[in-house]
Amino acid sequence: MSSPTRSRGTLLSAWLRLRSISGRSLYVLAGLAVAAVVLALVVKDKFYLHVLIMMMFYAAASSAWNIVGGFAGQLSLGHAAFFGIGAYTSTLLFIDLGVSPWIGMLIGGALATLVAGAIGYPSFRLRGPFFTLVTIAFAEVLRILTLYAHDLTKGSIGISVPFRPALGNFIFRQISAYVYVALAFLVIMVLLSLWIEYSRLGYYLAALREDEDAAQALGVDTARYKLVAVLVSAFFTALAGTFYAQYIFYIEPFAIFSLDFSVLLAMMAIIGGLGTVWGPVAGAFLVVPLQETLQAKLGGELQGLHLVVYGTVLIVVVILLPQGIVPSLAGWGKRAFGQREARPAPSLKGNP
Amino acid sequence: MILQAENLTKAFGGLAALKEVSFGIEEGEILGLIGPNGAGKTTLFNVISGFFRPDQGRVVFAGEPVSHLKAPSLCRSGLVRTFQVVKPFGNLTALQNVMVGSFLRTADPGLARERAQEVMELVGLSGCRDKAAKSLTISDRKRLEVARALATRPRLLLLDEVMAGLNPTELVQMLEILKRIRERGVTLLVIEHIMAAIMTISERILVLHHGEKIAQGAPKEVAGDKRVIDAYLGEEYLLA
Repeated sequence: MSSPTRSRGTLLSAWLRLRSISGRSLYVLAGLAVAAVVLALVVKDKFYLHVLIMMMFYAAASSAWNIVGGFAGQLSLGHAAFFGIGAYTSTLLFIDLGVSPWIGMLIGGALATLVAGAIGYPSFRLRGPFFTLVTIAFAEVLRILTLYAHDLTKGSIGISVPFRPALGNFIFRQISAYVYVALAFLVIMVLLSLWIEYSRLGYYLAALREDEDAAQALGVDTARYKLVAVLVSAFFTALAGTFYAQYIFYIEPFAIFSLDFSVLLAMMAIIGGLGTVWGPVAGAFLVVPLQETLQAKLGGELQGLHLVVYGTVLIVVVILLPQGIVPSLAGWGKRAFGQREARPAPSLKGNP
Repeated sequence: MILQAENLTKAFGGLAALKEVSFGIEEGEILGLIGPNGAGKTTLFNVISGFFRPDQGRVVFAGEPVSHLKAPSLCRSGLVRTFQVVKPFGNLTALQNVMVGSFLRTADPGLARERAQEVMELVGLSGCRDKAAKSLTISDRKRLEVARALATRPRLLLLDEVMAGLNPTELVQMLEILKRIRERGVTLLVIEHIMAAIMTISERILVLHHGEKIAQGAPKEVAGDKRVIDAYLGEEYLLA
């Protein structure tokens, strides 16, 4: 059979095609960007700006997690490992060697990618829960190593990032500047997710998530594609680590390499819609304001009350929208307006 | 010869699922594979298509020894199988299922979609393009299984009971689809229990029993073979 090959599209034609596939998503993204910029200009209250930054930060980080956890369906509960590698690498390079965190961020990303390869290469050859277990173990091991390597990392004392505001230092006097950086990160993550969903990579990840044998029978080297997913995911999660360090100005092993953080990234994607472009964003935009306001309003009252309310809300959401916010809303819209949905979203039970 | 199997042997624990099975497939023919349940038909498929490694013997595909290759590489070189228990990507649409197949030969999503639609037309699935695969009827799932495999542009297609569970009308349609696939130059190795179907469509038939090849030849010869009648067809078949 003949197999005509088409000339490679230019960046422009790729953009036009992306638009034709996901026009609605690009409008949503543009609207979101405008809203964030307007808020950054108008809002003066630091608490609300902080909530806005955290919403976009978690949306971006959870989108990074979603590449391997959602699109490829390989549950990681150790993304704190990649996050911490990013935070510690750029911070140590900045403090000890004076390297700009913008550059340190890329080096941290590269390191996290290497570690992801070391985790993914052996565990993706096996089936079952090995990948999940290895990710958890790796994050724990990195935390303990960070504690022991006291001379380098100051152990449990943690590291404070010196406040030297400059664009090149990735440190800003105006908190609103962090809104723009977080927004840029989120826009990149959404565009990347859209591209993955539309491209061969996205189809192959969906295929291996749904049925690994069938994917292999159709020529998909499943171990290789899972590995690609975790490498990309780890790289961008490490970038989130650098952002965190530059925004919070303090890192220490228990906060950075925490299982809670890994679970939070997964939970946001699951609540919002696993393996969908907008799921992690919807999840983060629900969970972060909830968490922050509850903590601010109820944190001083009965101890742990905010956690009880938080947990209750999450349980209600999961019961009402078992497939996640985005797929459920899309389903309602479809039934109400008779629209065709481009890509049915996977449920949590996607992998039998 | 597009495919040659030489002395294929495969055991699971003490149970020999295949015992020194040898046969060849000519380019462009339809070879039927029959035998009672547990005869080793699906095991033979698994060995040929790279899901199992044979304990002994080898498989030569298009002149190259391929027993060491895994399924994805075999698929790329043109040897593709379907599954007896169909394995649709349930949460993807039918079209997206077939696109996974056509992505093997192109990275361009537009082209993959075009080619997938063409294949869906061929197997009569055009009406189900945007339905989730898990909501398809069993007949359409069987067609989807064939369409997906066909979209990878195989030279040799291994079909594992794609006619089981179909009603008589659907069966006739599926036979028509197989003929059309063959007309496109694809060689077929077909496992089937429905005798009327396999006897009409195959040029030659191979019979397995307890992991051994007990007969091979034109449908008429095989149907008259004493061992085949004893092992599989039964006396009634001759009378019918």
